Amino acid sequence: MNLRNTPTREFDFILLLSALGLTTYGALLIYSGSLTTYGSPSQALSHPVSRQIVFAAVGLGAMLVLSRFDYRAFGPLSLTLYAVSIAALLFVLVVGASAYGSRRWIVIFGTQVQPSEIAKVAAVIMLAKYFSDNEENMQSLRVFLTSMAIAAVPAALVLVEPDLGSALVFGVMWLGMILIAGVRPAHLIGLFAATLALTPLAVVFAQNYQRDRIDIWLDPNKDPLGTGFNILQAEISIGSGGWFGKGFTHGSQTQLDYLRTQTTDYIFSVGAEELGFIGAMILFGLFIALLFRCLRVAGLADDAFGRLIAVGVMVFILFQVFVNIGVNIRLVPVTGVPLPLVSQGGSSLITVLASLGILQSILGHRRKRGRRI
Amino acid sequence: MGILAGNRRRRWRAEHAETADPRQQVSQKLWILRLVVLAAFAALTIQLGRLQLVQGSHFQQRAALNQLRIEPVIPSRGGIYDRNGVAVVANVPGFSAAIVAADIPEGSDDQIAKGLEGLLGVPALETALRIEAARKSKDPFAPVIIKDGLDQAAAFHLREQLPMLPGVQVVVDPVRRYLAGDVLSDVLGYTGRVDEEDFVTLKDRGYVASDRIGKAGVEATYERYLRGVVGRKEIEKDATGRELRTLGEDPAKPGNDLVLSIDLDLQKKATEMVQAASDGGQAAAIVMDVHTGEVLALVSLPMYDNNIFSGKIDEAKLQQYLDDPKKPLVNHALSEQYAPGSIFKQITGAAALQEGVAVPSTTITSNGYINIPNQYDPSVIYTFKDWRTLGTLNFYGGVAMSSDVYFYYLSGGYHAYGQNFDGLGVERLARYARQFGLGRRTGIDIAGEADGNIPDTAWKKATFGDDWFLGDTYNMGIGQGFVAATPIQMIRVTAAVANGGTLLTPRVVREVRDAQQHVIVPAAPKIEGNVGVSPANLAILRDAMTQAVSWGSANLASLPDLKIAGKTGTAEFGPRFADGSYETHAWFSGFAPADDPQVAVTVFLERGVGATNAAPLGAKILDYYYHRSKQQTDAGAPAPVGVTP
Repeated sequence: MNLRNTPTREFDFILLLSALGLTTYGALLIYSGSLTTYGSPSQALSHPVSRQIVFAAVGLGAMLVLSRFDYRAFGPLSLTLYAVSIAALLFVLVVGASAYGSRRWIVIFGTQVQPSEIAKVAAVIMLAKYFSDNEENMQSLRVFLTSMAIAAVPAALVLVEPDLGSALVFGVMWLGMILIAGVRPAHLIGLFAATLALTPLAVVFAQNYQRDRIDIWLDPNKDPLGTGFNILQAEISIGSGGWFGKGFTHGSQTQLDYLRTQTTDYIFSVGAEELGFIGAMILFGLFIALLFRCLRVAGLADDAFGRLIAVGVMVFILFQVFVNIGVNIRLVPVTGVPLPLVSQGGSSLITVLASLGILQSILGHRRKRGRRI
Repeated sequence: MGILAGNRRRRWRAEHAETADPRQQVSQKLWILRLVVLAAFAALTIQLGRLQLVQGSHFQQRAALNQLRIEPVIPSRGGIYDRNGVAVVANVPGFSAAIVAADIPEGSDDQIAKGLEGLLGVPALETALRIEAARKSKDPFAPVIIKDGLDQAAAFHLREQLPMLPGVQVVVDPVRRYLAGDVLSDVLGYTGRVDEEDFVTLKDRGYVASDRIGKAGVEATYERYLRGVVGRKEIEKDATGRELRTLGEDPAKPGNDLVLSIDLDLQKKATEMVQAASDGGQAAAIVMDVHTGEVLALVSLPMYDNNIFSGKIDEAKLQQYLDDPKKPLVNHALSEQYAPGSIFKQITGAAALQEGVAVPSTTITSNGYINIPNQYDPSVIYTFKDWRTLGTLNFYGGVAMSSDVYFYYLSGGYHAYGQNFDGLGVERLARYARQFGLGRRTGIDIAGEADGNIPDTAWKKATFGDDWFLGDTYNMGIGQGFVAATPIQMIRVTAAVANGGTLLTPRVVREVRDAQQHVIVPAAPKIEGNVGVSPANLAILRDAMTQAVSWGSANLASLPDLKIAGKTGTAEFGPRFADGSYETHAWFSGFAPADDPQVAVTVFLERGVGATNAAPLGAKILDYYYHRSKQQTDAGAPAPVGVTP
């Protein structure tokens, strides 16, 4: 039997456990954060926690299936996947359901689906495929620009939804992947210079609501009951948590509805208020474990395709974690991105768990280093 | 050299590219990514530590402030009773719809405004603008009244809709229901919402923007007693302003009760009597205790309904009052000044006796007029008329018949055609008038008094730039010309005559009691001073006024079983008619019993004659006061007295 051609079947339980830990942490915070609207968990299936558990189960199922499925098959499929996700983004712009002034959802079988989440994974696979096909050619400007375009198309489509946060995710993902794939520093410096040169233009053409957001971020007291309300109340919630927090389901800010969107964008504030600095450190620890395990997959991957997928997934999780928590603690201007695995919402949860499944597959379908079994 | 160096560098790079293990390169980059991960979480941890550990206590306070609101507890306003303990006001719940801007979720102003339009009919645009203004104000937590005076059904309906209207409140605050009807409006006044301008100062005294405050009458004068002491309530609220629970309460102290000196029964009866005697014009009547200054009845016609100011102001009715030329909102007993006419002779007479200008036996003959020649051109003769040719009169006769000529002599003297009678002169007369309290407010505990006017040489010079003439003194001596007084000023004069010279400050509130009925401010006469006329001289004047009723000009005020003393007045006012006459005010000012005075009455009718209209009215009121128990027993119940002029 040729060991070199036998998959290792390795499964990273630490990766699974850290993901499960984060999902559980999230479910608990969703429970606490929805007590004001849903008195008890008895409102069965409509309760956000039940829904989150169902989504987690679907995501875990996807993870297990994908871990047994050779990730290399995504290579030939990547263009199709990418094209479908772009089509979905276009579709959502045309007929999408509008919420809070932006169109981000389409409704499939009564469930809201956010195509931008799926597009993130599709773009990671597409970029990984493109970079690995051009491994020998990474220094060329053509590869640099083409790969940039692959990320820019979905980024532009989500930007007009408008969803600035998700658009930035595509950019950062591309940057992380091209750095690992090997980029000519001159190209990046050129891009950086061009961005700097265009910044004044961006300021002029930025939509008013974006400029206002920056203003309010710098001084939320300008409008303490309006747009500054969330910023101030999140800060108060987090700050008042102290070392150990006010106790699970005992956060006054959360339970008296001073926090808004407290199960999605501001879920971190719920945790920081009720579980305190220590609780937040546990959350950070889980995320660091998860991200390090992703990087471990990148390090162990057989080929550039697998390695780049792992890096892409890691970068998009890291970036969203940083921006989401950064917004909560007023380190970053208000940008709506979910906290991966923790925020309420099926699309994001399932997408992240499924991506981790692909990472498990990368780990389990190695051929060269199979001796470690 | 340069080319060589370039080649060397290129070669070096090529060699290294071949020798470097690509796997090792990747692993280096992955280590950098691990550092990036750690750096990102380090940044998050530092900022989080700053918020939670460094500024933690600050934010804990902020969080506590968020949920806790200290709200004022408005005390229940004190009650008001007549002197016999009859309640004349009740606090009834008044409902209004208010918004608390801070509790309205961002972006839902329009939805709230539309909702209120549907429920209350308040234009949505107006509500939206007020929400906007309230949100920008210094205190966005203060309720802003959107619609006042909701009826109970509308209030309950709105309350059911509140879960759909975050930031909307149904404010229940007690409003005044005045129980005695229109007859007490001028005494009680009314309450109303605090004005925005006044609120700036009132805020420090515990008033809230939606508060009510006394605006007129004793409601305004005794505001600090009626108001009570505002309490404080510490309540926990959620972000939409729903009250969750009360954590602590420093209860409000209810306002104190007022006991009026007014006798409600007499007030009602006197009002009926004045209405019957009046031609529908302005009128006033006051009954006062001559020893204490307590006002037993205070009638001002036309009346107004003070209940229109409770809850939502009845704008149509208010406009009607404002447009009425008879000024129903004005208290004619104390806010309007009129020529007092002959009732002023009480002062001229008392002054003349005190100054030795006259003694009871001083006789003067009235031929129906006196003539005085111009002091520069004796061929120009001025004639001052008496109301009738009255013949020779002593002091009693002069007062009893109200002879104008007699009082021309007393006030101005007479130095012509061989006669040489020294009068008081303007300055002495003015001094006595002021000693009797004229020309200034009496200080009654109802706001809005008029000053009246007592002229003198300097006043005329300053006002008209003209010299004072003898004729001015004559007019002043009979209460005409430049003299102006309010009914409340005139009853104070009569009370001083009756009580032997004490000038009292009239009061409509007898005492103040707290909610447990302990007396806080006891009933006690407030004495302003003495009129400066000896009791003996005042006794002579009382005698003269008794004769005025028994056989003189006030004879229509005489009653078989009550000895009344009094003085009538018929004061000319307005433009002169073609026949040389004027419209006249009718006055009567008197007291009873004549030999042991207890109460004084002053009545004023805008149009009429003192002897025929005012005097019998004054007597009827006094009669009712002294004989009502007998009348009630006789009639079974107090029936309206049919008054024939």
